[in-house]
Amino acid sequence: MIKKLIVIFLTSLLVFLVLFSCKKRVEVKPPAPPTTKAEEKAMPVEEVKETPAIAKPKLTEEEIFKAKTLEELNREQPLQMIHFDFDKYDIREDAKPILEKNAEWLRRHPTVKILIEGHCDERGTEEYNLALGEKRARATMEYLVALGISPDRIKIISYGKSRPLDPGHNEIAWAKNRRAQFVIIAK
Amino acid sequence: MKIFKIFMTGFIFLGVLIIFAFNQQEVVIKIKGGMPAIPVALPKFIVYSDNPEIIKAAQKIHEVLRADLKFSRVFELVPEEFYSYIKPLDPKNILFKDWESIQSNVLIVGEISSSENNKLVFTGSVYDVRSGRFIFGKKYRGGVKLVRLIAHKMADEMMKAFGEKPVFTSKIVFVSDRDGNSEIYMMDYDGHNQIRLTFNKAIDMLPALSPDRTKVAYTSYRRANPDLFVFHIYTGKTIPISTKGANYAPSWSPNGRKIAFCSSRSGNHEIYVAEEDGKNLRRLTFNKAIDTSPDWSPTGREIVFTSDRSGSPQLYIMDAEGTNIRKISYGGTYHDSPSWSPNGDKIAYVSRVENRFDIYVLDLRTNQIIKITENNARNENPSWSPDGRHIVYSSNVSGKIQIYITDYDGQNTRVLTSKGNNKMPDWSY
Repeated sequence: MIKKLIVIFLTSLLVFLVLFSCKKRVEVKPPAPPTTKAEEKAMPVEEVKETPAIAKPKLTEEEIFKAKTLEELNREQPLQMIHFDFDKYDIREDAKPILEKNAEWLRRHPTVKILIEGHCDERGTEEYNLALGEKRARATMEYLVALGISPDRIKIISYGKSRPLDPGHNEIAWAKNRRAQFVIIAK
Repeated sequence: MKIFKIFMTGFIFLGVLIIFAFNQQEVVIKIKGGMPAIPVALPKFIVYSDNPEIIKAAQKIHEVLRADLKFSRVFELVPEEFYSYIKPLDPKNILFKDWESIQSNVLIVGEISSSENNKLVFTGSVYDVRSGRFIFGKKYRGGVKLVRLIAHKMADEMMKAFGEKPVFTSKIVFVSDRDGNSEIYMMDYDGHNQIRLTFNKAIDMLPALSPDRTKVAYTSYRRANPDLFVFHIYTGKTIPISTKGANYAPSWSPNGRKIAFCSSRSGNHEIYVAEEDGKNLRRLTFNKAIDTSPDWSPTGREIVFTSDRSGSPQLYIMDAEGTNIRKISYGGTYHDSPSWSPNGDKIAYVSRVENRFDIYVLDLRTNQIIKITENNARNENPSWSPDGRHIVYSSNVSGKIQIYITDYDGQNTRVLTSKGNNKMPDWSY
């Protein structure tokens, strides 16, 4: 008895659902009434401003780098020089963070090739200073290589005491002149 | 026994003295004088011409010859006022007793006449005053512009006649920045005729003149690297010798066929030898330290050089094949730029003491050291005259760096250059 009732109920529900879905129609809205008369005095005033300046396309760091000539690049000295103790060519403690920064810059610009110039103060003889200057340049190169810079990217040269930064004849000038300097030779 | 005790005490005392002496920083012995010079009379030349140019030329030859002989340290000139005490010179009839009376041993008679094409003929006759014998004579013909050379040639003949090596036609090559850039120049021994040899617009340095004086080995940065070249002065040819690594401090072998130099082509500064065209390159030193500044012995069998293998730059001698290395410098911590004397018995070099560089001479036979310069400045790159009586070097004693000449005992120092900075002199054989 109950079974029959359920069957009847379900059947009638199915019939009802089918009928209902068929009956559904899209209701069309009636067209909006035409605007009759706009109040002219109520028009908002539009402020006319100058068009903003045209922005240049934003360059990436790499694109900026590429646009520069070698001269411009070297003038900016992205690679800082380091200094040495009297008669010595080993890398000083205060030079190590500078070389780490330089290595970081070289890693960011993997196409760059550099020349390391070794220089001496005037308190060495001409010949020995040429050798000492090269030892300084080579020690600098080896430090950069240990930091992961390829030796193929680095050339070295010694100028002995022929190119002092400071022409003075005192401790301050001498300390300035005992140096390894970086020149970008390719990018 | 007592005598033995005294002897022993003396011996110990002497030992202490020796130890004390060798503990000193440097042993400096100044020696003045030397061999007695030969007194020479050089009266005014006899001119057989009215041409004022010839008369002027005669005066010039006399002046230059006089300066050469004075410079030599072999001869000394009889004071000119002595000539007025005796009869004027007559070349046809020389009164040797007169010349002996004014204490001359040698008499030089100069005669000058004009020749075709505005040239002159100089005749120099040299006599031994005591015996009245003619020693030698020389005749030179040349233009009036060549008077200095004529005088130098005559002075060289004087040296040869008295068993000495000629000096006065020798040349000195050096580096100057007078034209704005470090270039190689050449001059006469007395500083005259300074001429420019290189035009590289890059640093040129450390020149060495070949024994025949026709070639200069030098380092140039013209290819953005310190390369070693040989420049042929009279053909204009330049030949690369070594271009890998840094290459510098050349020295010609006495026969002029080989060049010893320093190169870092292996990665470290070592001494190499190559032929004058760069062929047959051979490495002589094998040491982790800096080896540089080679200079040949006059026999060509040995080479003196600088090495810091002991911790600081010191001087060593090795055989020309690189074997048998022995240290020769002592006292002091910094020596460089050795120059072997033409007689083979001395080494001139630079030593640094408290930021001053002075020239010293080490006698290889006695192991004595003589200090040549003493001026509280930086004196560098000594090089011997062909006869070993003089040393040329550079000094910043006047502020700028200039080239000076001094005698083997540090006497008669004079400056040869004045324009710009002038340094790294090398005196030819």
